Amino acid sequence: MTIEASAATGSDLILDARGITKRFGGFVALNNVDLAVRPGERLGLIGPNGSGKSTLTNCLCGALKTDGGSISFAGRAIDNLSSYQRARLGLGRSFQLPRPFHSLSLLDNLRIPLVYAVNARGGTHLTEQQIRARSTELLGEFGLGGKLHRLPGDLTQVEMRKLELARAMATDPTLLVSDEALAGLSHSEVNEILALLLALNKRGVAVIFIEHIMRAVMAFSERLVVLVAGEKIADGAPKDVIADERVIGAYLGQ
Amino acid sequence: MSNGRFILLACLVGVALVAASLFVTNEYYVFAAYFVLQYVVLATAWNILGGYVGYVNFGTTAFLAIGLYSAAALNKWLDLPIPVLIPIAGVLCGAVGLAMGYLTIRLRGVYFTIATLALSVVVQTFITNWDYVGGSRGIYIMRPTDVPVFGSYVAYLFFLMTVLAVASVVIARVIERSTFGFGLAAIRDDETAAAASGVPVLRLKLVAAAISGALMGMAGAPLPFYLTYVEPTSSFSLAYTVNSVAMPLVGGTTSWLGPVIGAVLLGTMQQAMTVLISSSVNLLVVGVLLVIFVIAAPNGILGLIRSMGGKKPDPETNPLAAMLVTEKRSSQ
Repeated sequence: MTIEASAATGSDLILDARGITKRFGGFVALNNVDLAVRPGERLGLIGPNGSGKSTLTNCLCGALKTDGGSISFAGRAIDNLSSYQRARLGLGRSFQLPRPFHSLSLLDNLRIPLVYAVNARGGTHLTEQQIRARSTELLGEFGLGGKLHRLPGDLTQVEMRKLELARAMATDPTLLVSDEALAGLSHSEVNEILALLLALNKRGVAVIFIEHIMRAVMAFSERLVVLVAGEKIADGAPKDVIADERVIGAYLGQ
Repeated sequence: MSNGRFILLACLVGVALVAASLFVTNEYYVFAAYFVLQYVVLATAWNILGGYVGYVNFGTTAFLAIGLYSAAALNKWLDLPIPVLIPIAGVLCGAVGLAMGYLTIRLRGVYFTIATLALSVVVQTFITNWDYVGGSRGIYIMRPTDVPVFGSYVAYLFFLMTVLAVASVVIARVIERSTFGFGLAAIRDDETAAAASGVPVLRLKLVAAAISGALMGMAGAPLPFYLTYVEPTSSFSLAYTVNSVAMPLVGGTTSWLGPVIGAVLLGTMQQAMTVLISSSVNLLVVGVLLVIFVIAAPNGILGLIRSMGGKKPDPETNPLAAMLVTEKRSSQ
């Protein structure tokens, strides 16, 4: 299997993770995993349950410390940065189970990343009016324009997913790690969220798309990476990857 | 209401309280009101960490006692006036809050709470063995004979506590509406998601712990002069800890107003009961009330009012309820 991205030099990559290893006690959750993402790329990340997808997300975004390897983001080593610093650099994430700020209105849910990530980044400083305008605009894009002042508890499951993505987008990321944004959604809801993610990508945001729904993965991804038992077993064009014997074996349990 | 107008209003309430205290002939009422205001400070301070950030601190007595004993010790050593002792106690307890936070605040939930309880025990052991302030025998504090401006010493102490109460309520209200306050709310709701949104979780928690500790310590500084005799057992009374947790919970923890309502309500009730029934029934009643509220109204009195009917109260017919509802956290 060719690994296109690793042929590129470091400066061409938005994310360059090498040899990522993570252990929980004696259990090796990630073993020497390399992952590279080019700016604006749509990368699908798949693997059976327990293969280390979420652990990798947590390592990349700083929620977990790695036991080995190095991560650079936008040409800068981020191994020693905590998750809020990574968010400020433009590494956004959405959670597998939506984790909204329950006591804050939808507008204020988006206000948090705008104030703490975008405004803390240096350069542009959004005024109070601009923050309000931007969060209203984002919620509108995600179809939540009618519920600006509602609390997350009033939302349906699909709306909660949209809020989760909208809040991740409010950090104004250059790379978004979307962890199973589609789990538990109906066919039409999957299409709806997929369209939103594609629209974000069109604006130049690179996306790591972690998903189980293969229809969505194949429709979305330009490149596919497969994790099995903490190891990367395939990395390449989606069509080639799903035809790979080891991948088929891992999914069918051979 | 803008911060400026709120500060003005809070100061007016403070001036009215002090003015009223000068006209009260029975000094007991001023004495009792001091007690209630002290709880306004303690409950408000507790709520900055416990309510806004969601870290339940059972170490109120530690901070209060550090404020109290630092004032007693410095008074004995250098004979400093109370307005100087208060900021010193504040700085000291702010530093202790910061240190406690640094060591323990990575612990979540019940583990943090146990650590704060341990802090109380450590401080109590230290003070019980500190001979300079009398150790377990306790220490008498001579009130200065000359009282500036105010007729009686109790009225002077009441004035100081009013200033502290107004200041802490203003601080709590300003925090609540600030970017800092929104960050704290995000941490309370979900720390991991807050960090992913760029919130510097640890730093914000430490600042909240330091402010909370500093205010508790400042409330303790005038206390030796109020009591005139302090000893470790009563200084570390469970009542301070239980009350500073119960008052915000009964009033409502998400707004500055909750701890104020809780402190005035429970504080007044306890003073009345001490006089009318017995001082030992106090904690029992607070405990029962706490259990009732935790089960029946977990969002406190404010939560009850807000959930009434679900629609906004008409300011014409019900101005108090309307004010409480609009006081709800909002970015506007």
